[in-house]
Amino acid sequence: MKADDPRVKWLDVPPMGLAEKLYLPLVTHGLTTTLRHLAAALAGKTVTVSYPEEEPQIDNPLIYRGVHRLNRDAEGRVKCVACFLCATACPAHCIDIVAAESPWPDREKYPASFVVDELRCIYCGMCEQACPVDAIELTSLYNLTGCSREEMVYDKEKLLSVYDATIDREPMRSADAGETA
Amino acid sequence: MNQAIVLEALIKTVIVIGGLATGAAYLVLLERKMAAWVQDRIGPNRAGIPLTDIRLGGLGQPLADGLKVLFKEDFTPAHVDRWLFTLAPVLILVAAFAAFAVIPFGSVLPVRSAATGTGAPVSLVIAPGVNVAVLYVFAVSSIAVYGVILGGWASNNKYSLLGGLRSSAQLIAYELPMGLGLLGIVVAAGSLNLEEIIVRQAAGGWYVLLQPLGFIVFVVAAFAEAARLPFDLPECEQELVGGYHTEYSGMRLLLFLLTEFLHMITAAALIVILFLGGWHLPGGLTGSTDEVGWFGALARVVVLVGKVFLVIVVFMLVRWSWPRFRYDQLMSLAWKVMLPLGMVNFLTVAVLEQVRWAWRLEGPYWTALLAAAAWGVCAIAVVLLAVAAPGVADNRGCRFTESEEQTG
Amino acid sequence: MGTVIVDGHEVEIRDGERLNGIEAAARAGIDIPHYCWHPGLSVVASCRMCLVETGRRDPATGEITMLDKLVPACQTPATDGTVFVTDSDKVVQARAMVEEDLLLRHPVDCPICDKAGECRLQDYFYQHGHTERRADIRPFTSRRRSLGDTVTLFVDRCVMCTRCVRFCREIAQSHELMVINRGAREEIDVFPGFPLGNPLAGNVVDLCPVGALGDRDFLYRQRVWFMQPHEHVCAGCATGCSIFIEEHQDRIHRVRPRENPHVNQWWMCDEGRHGWKHVCDARRLVEPRVRRGGVLVPVNWEAAIGDLDRALRASAQLAVVLSPQLTVEEAYLLVKYAQSVQPAATLLLGPVPMRGTDQTFAGGFTIRAEKCPNRQGVQHVLDGLADRQITWDQLLTQQARSRPYDAIWIAGGYPTDWNDADTAGRLRGTPLLVVQDLFPSPLADQAHWQLPATAFAERSGSFVNRGDRLQTFQWAVRPPRGALSEGQLYWRLLGRRGLYDARQVLAEVAEEIVCFCAALDPVPATGVNLKVQQLA
Repeated sequence: MKADDPRVKWLDVPPMGLAEKLYLPLVTHGLTTTLRHLAAALAGKTVTVSYPEEEPQIDNPLIYRGVHRLNRDAEGRVKCVACFLCATACPAHCIDIVAAESPWPDREKYPASFVVDELRCIYCGMCEQACPVDAIELTSLYNLTGCSREEMVYDKEKLLSVYDATIDREPMRSADAGETA
Repeated sequence: MNQAIVLEALIKTVIVIGGLATGAAYLVLLERKMAAWVQDRIGPNRAGIPLTDIRLGGLGQPLADGLKVLFKEDFTPAHVDRWLFTLAPVLILVAAFAAFAVIPFGSVLPVRSAATGTGAPVSLVIAPGVNVAVLYVFAVSSIAVYGVILGGWASNNKYSLLGGLRSSAQLIAYELPMGLGLLGIVVAAGSLNLEEIIVRQAAGGWYVLLQPLGFIVFVVAAFAEAARLPFDLPECEQELVGGYHTEYSGMRLLLFLLTEFLHMITAAALIVILFLGGWHLPGGLTGSTDEVGWFGALARVVVLVGKVFLVIVVFMLVRWSWPRFRYDQLMSLAWKVMLPLGMVNFLTVAVLEQVRWAWRLEGPYWTALLAAAAWGVCAIAVVLLAVAAPGVADNRGCRFTESEEQTG
Repeated sequence: MGTVIVDGHEVEIRDGERLNGIEAAARAGIDIPHYCWHPGLSVVASCRMCLVETGRRDPATGEITMLDKLVPACQTPATDGTVFVTDSDKVVQARAMVEEDLLLRHPVDCPICDKAGECRLQDYFYQHGHTERRADIRPFTSRRRSLGDTVTLFVDRCVMCTRCVRFCREIAQSHELMVINRGAREEIDVFPGFPLGNPLAGNVVDLCPVGALGDRDFLYRQRVWFMQPHEHVCAGCATGCSIFIEEHQDRIHRVRPRENPHVNQWWMCDEGRHGWKHVCDARRLVEPRVRRGGVLVPVNWEAAIGDLDRALRASAQLAVVLSPQLTVEEAYLLVKYAQSVQPAATLLLGPVPMRGTDQTFAGGFTIRAEKCPNRQGVQHVLDGLADRQITWDQLLTQQARSRPYDAIWIAGGYPTDWNDADTAGRLRGTPLLVVQDLFPSPLADQAHWQLPATAFAERSGSFVNRGDRLQTFQWAVRPPRGALSEGQLYWRLLGRRGLYDARQVLAEVAEEIVCFCAALDPVPATGVNLKVQQLA
């Protein structure tokens, strides 16, 4: 939009009163705000979380977007049906799936390999929204670390182990979905 | 005899430089701590004694920072002017330290100086009794402009050059109000000697009370000279990615950063010495004459250093309180606000001093009356300037109608 | 000459043209949805998706009389005065009902269905179906059975359009597929012991408008929306079918036919459909090598091109063998290069692989016995540029007997084994043997210069098929790292600057060789017939 666009609404600068022109009230206002925070901080009221010693509190783990997990169905098999919709929705192209015919009689297609590059991921949660069977979910695990790039590429087993580690704390968003498979 | 003078000066030099370097390092820590507190954070609190878990609340941070900078690569980009690039930080640091030659860090010691042989006590200033101390400080601190502009020019980088140019313009512009703010004190004290000025205040009242307008002008100018917020245009990370020291790294960057803190200490020391009574404390704790015992001498050092420290804390608080000036606002503040105020202050002081001298109005009663007159003038001048509003300029994008374009 | 009115648009039809409602509407730019009708198959009008209102305009009075009931557009001939209405409420309602009915028994397992994204059922339900599904039916897993070695049937996804059945009966004429049961229990199936195995079987997968038939080669491999289709030409035989090569990130996933009435209509054979595997074979030659001290050592292209040029110029008698796998442009550039090295160089056509006999199906689709795409084109280039030609067998015989040539360049690029130890033995002893091929072979292993060739999907250029139709194409995938396409190599040997540009070379060919004059104008997607142009 250019400056001469008719949709631009032009506002005049509000005129300053004497108090504003004197600077003094605003100067004191600024200083008092600073001093108030200084005093509060010196009295111990800070928002800092001393991370390795203290764990941050995550208010709602169900909407937190941390490490992915691959959910299991009632029989403990991977719930994913390898439809590639998460890979399609992914804006960072961090999901790589190799689909194959499933080894189970009641399921048709399953992911032979399901890899999420956690370093490439931007944690937007679109995979979670795209999944028709609620198989991929973002957990509240935030402390994702590794010593190499390879280590941060999570394969199917690792993603399933995230499920095993978090399912007690964070239930699946919808337990009954996923009967297409 | 000469050896004694040299020895005495050397000892004091070592004390001052050592104290300043250490002080600046810990001021960095204080700055970060203050920033954290003002923002409801804790601040650096991890670095303590190396190889142990003892953290000392972060007191090891300056040491760790210094070591880190020492071990960093001191990189010289290929496109710079190597001589000037190396010269700039050295020049600016030397100038900053040199200013402290005449700035007292106490009063006197009750020891007869062997240097002069006159039996005078040892002065707590590297070069005692310099008649032109104020002029010297101004002259030396002006050299800082060279360091800044050399750094900006030698870096051969548009941001650095812009930072250097802004900085030189700013420093030159604020030299004038600073000088005018000071002129009243020179008139009132009748001396350019900083030790003498403190003694006069101890005897006849602090100049912050007697010359409020001069104090305002001088403090604002001192902030600008030290390039502290709200006047940190030479660096302004937001626009110039560090300004004149963008291309510097490692040890040479450290020299620039150290110099900034030295400038702040200089400015704070000058404010304290010129306006806040130096080592003097009302109530008789520090006395007001050269006759002083060991306790009094030490108390004076503590009071002076304490005052400087408090002023520095104010410097740091101001940084988090007010937004930065735009460049044109900075300039109009200097030329349209501070310069007139400084002139008014000088005239007021001259007239009041002439009145005091002509009618021999001595004593606390008259002093209070004259101070009241000065405060009155100060209030009137400030209000008048606010109404005239010369500092307000609006350079936002304008909308031209077609007719205006045709005519204009 | 006649006029058909579709939704108020007047469509002209020529005398003798036999169009149905769908084709007439398509001329007016109106798409009538359909499942069972296919232009290459007979009309059964069983899916009821193309139901429209129809009527006649009285030529004398101009008065229009409409039929009360809806008729299938595919079965209604468009003649002078026929009126079709495709957007009335009645038609819209009928389409919605058909969609609802089809989905009542559909598993709706789109997430795991390979057709999703190019499925008619999805598209038509989105365009013509109800906005919501009234029946409360949960998705389920489709039953699945194998119809043959290459095709899998997902029974419950089928909409019983019977296109596959008709194809097997009318085009392949092998009659494997049939409909079993009746009514709601209708299913596609094969007789026990007679699996779907005709050479055109893969076409039923393309024909299937929904995801009921899946090619086992492609099943579950990739979702269709990830793939990029490239217009190309099949190099499997001398028919030169127009095809789409569908790739994702330089990996071919699927090849399917591209409609071309002059070459392959809508079809292609299974051999061509699955004939791209050699492109991603790990055994391919991917780097130029030169023989030093008896062994082949890799060299980089920069050095190789200069050294090779010097070595060839040092020879006294040069023979260049042009493979029928080369494009017209590449053959032309190679001939030009050989003649620039030695104006009297001997040029000849390489061996032409033959297998079986030509197999022609109903409707004229033919699988050729000549298993190379461009014998005709290379021959035309040789005829136009070379004074003296010998045959491949003559070369082998001469060289084995008296060794008249001290330098032989063999441009191969065959996807299959084409030479043996005997061939290699006859050429042994040639002072300078340059072999350019896709795979290691006895001949390539005894070369002094072993250069990598590129596969058809990696090249740009044009092929001339047995019917003298020239079709151009652009590369679909990039060659493996290290390999340089034939065109680029010859381009650089000729000292030309920049990148090899097939279109520019084709223009030169058309200028220089009369036979190719038809290619002077931009070649359309269906190609140009060189023979017709020559006669004209």
